[in-house]
Amino acid sequence: MKEIIKLILKYHFTIIFIILELISFSLIVLHNNYQRTVFSGYATSFFGGISSIVTQVDDYLFLKVTNEKIVAENTKLRNEVERLKKINQAYCADTIWQPLDSTEVDYVYKTAEMINSSFNKTKNCIVIDKGRKDGILTEMAVCSSEGVVGVVEKVSRHYARVLPLINTNLRVSAKIKKNGYYGSLQWDGDDYRYSYLNDIPFHVNAEIGDTIVTSGFSSIFPEGKLIGFIESVNKETANFLKIKVKLATDFKRISDVYVIENTKKEEQQDLGKENYE
Amino acid sequence: MSNFKFILHLFVLLLLQLAILDNIQLHSYVYINIYILAIYILPYRLRNATLLFFGFFLGLIVDLANHTMGIHMAASTLLAYVRPRLLMLTSNREQIDDIQGEQKISDFSWFFKYIFISTFIFNVVLIFCETFSLQNFLITCLRIIFSTLVSTFFILLYYFIALKKNKTVK
Repeated sequence: MKEIIKLILKYHFTIIFIILELISFSLIVLHNNYQRTVFSGYATSFFGGISSIVTQVDDYLFLKVTNEKIVAENTKLRNEVERLKKINQAYCADTIWQPLDSTEVDYVYKTAEMINSSFNKTKNCIVIDKGRKDGILTEMAVCSSEGVVGVVEKVSRHYARVLPLINTNLRVSAKIKKNGYYGSLQWDGDDYRYSYLNDIPFHVNAEIGDTIVTSGFSSIFPEGKLIGFIESVNKETANFLKIKVKLATDFKRISDVYVIENTKKEEQQDLGKENYE
Repeated sequence: MSNFKFILHLFVLLLLQLAILDNIQLHSYVYINIYILAIYILPYRLRNATLLFFGFFLGLIVDLANHTMGIHMAASTLLAYVRPRLLMLTSNREQIDDIQGEQKISDFSWFFKYIFISTFIFNVVLIFCETFSLQNFLITCLRIIFSTLVSTFFILLYYFIALKKNKTVK
C-alpha cells in the first residue's frame, strides 16, 4: 500500500495529466456534434465486431444442438407434406368426396442417427440408434437429406441394422426420372461413390447427368426418392445397358437419416399375393 | 517578471486571441493561436500540478468562447505536460532564465526551436481533435504545418514587441 502511494506521488504529474486529458477527450466527444457522431460510429463498429465474433463462436459451439433441432423439424415437415399430399389428392381426384382420416398417410418419417457404419467392405452395413421400441421394422426405407441410404435389415430393441446401397446383397428398383424406364440398382463392391443400374433396354436414351430415382414398385421406398446421377453409360450385353450411377448420398459423411415407414405396405403386399395366387 | 505583469500579459493575450484572431477566417487551413505564449513564459520553477491545471483552464476559457468544448483543453494540457521536458531538452539553465527577464535573449536559435516544437505539438493535437479521423490525412498535415508556421510567427511578433521592448541592455 505504501509502495502504491509512493508510486502515485512519484508520477502524480503524469497521472494528473492523463486525468485532465481524459476529461478533455470526454468533453470533446460529449459536447461536439461532429466528434460525437464519429466516435459513436467507431464505438458501434468496434463493439459490433466483438459481439459478432462472440455470436459466431456461440453458433459454432451450438451447431450440434441446432442440427438436431433442424432434423427433428424436417421430419415433422416431411410428415406434414405426406399428409397434405394425401388430403390434396382427395380433393383433386375426380371421385365422390370421401372424408379422409388425416393420420392415414402413405409414408411416415422418423429421425434416426447413425452410430456405426462401414464403407470399405463388399457387405457394408450401418447401425442406427432407433429400434423396435421406436417403431422401426425390417424392410423400412432409410434416406438421408441427400438421397437414399438403404433398407432396414434387422431390428433389435434399441437399434436397427441397415443394408446400405453400398452392399452387394441389396437390389433396389430404380428408374430414370426423365423417361421412367426402370431397372435394378446393385453395387459392384468396388467404389463406395458409384453403383450400377442394370436391366435398362439398350434403346433407352440415357445421358450423362440424368437423375436416377426410386421407382416405388418395391413398396419400400416412396416413389421419386433421389438415388444419384448417371456417370457413364456402357452397353454391356446385346440388349441391356450398364449405367454407372454416382450416388447422391455420401456414405462417408452422413450422420442423420430418416427412416420411412410405408403404412400401407401390408395392404399392398396382400393384394399382390392374392393376385398371384 | 512580476506576477502582476504576467497576469496583465495573460489578459492581453486572451483578449487578442478571442476578440481578433479567432474572428479571422483564413480558409480553415490556418488557425492562429497566440494565447499559448502564456504557457511558454511561465516561470521555470513552476513544474508541478499547477502547471497542468493552468494549461487546462486556459484551454477551457478559449473553448468556452469558441464553442469547441474540450479541443483546446486537450491541446494546451498536453503543452503544459511536455513543457518541462522540452525545456530540459532544448536549453540549459541560464537560457531558461532568459525567457522570463526583459533583457535580450542571448541565443535566439534555442528559443525559436522551443517555441516552434511546442506550437507544432499544440497544433497536431488541436487539428486532429478537430478533424477526428484519418481521412484526408495529407490535408490535415498541411493544415498543421500552415497553422504552426503562422502561429509561431505571431507568437514571436508579440513576444518581441510586447515583452522584450527596447530593453537591450543587461
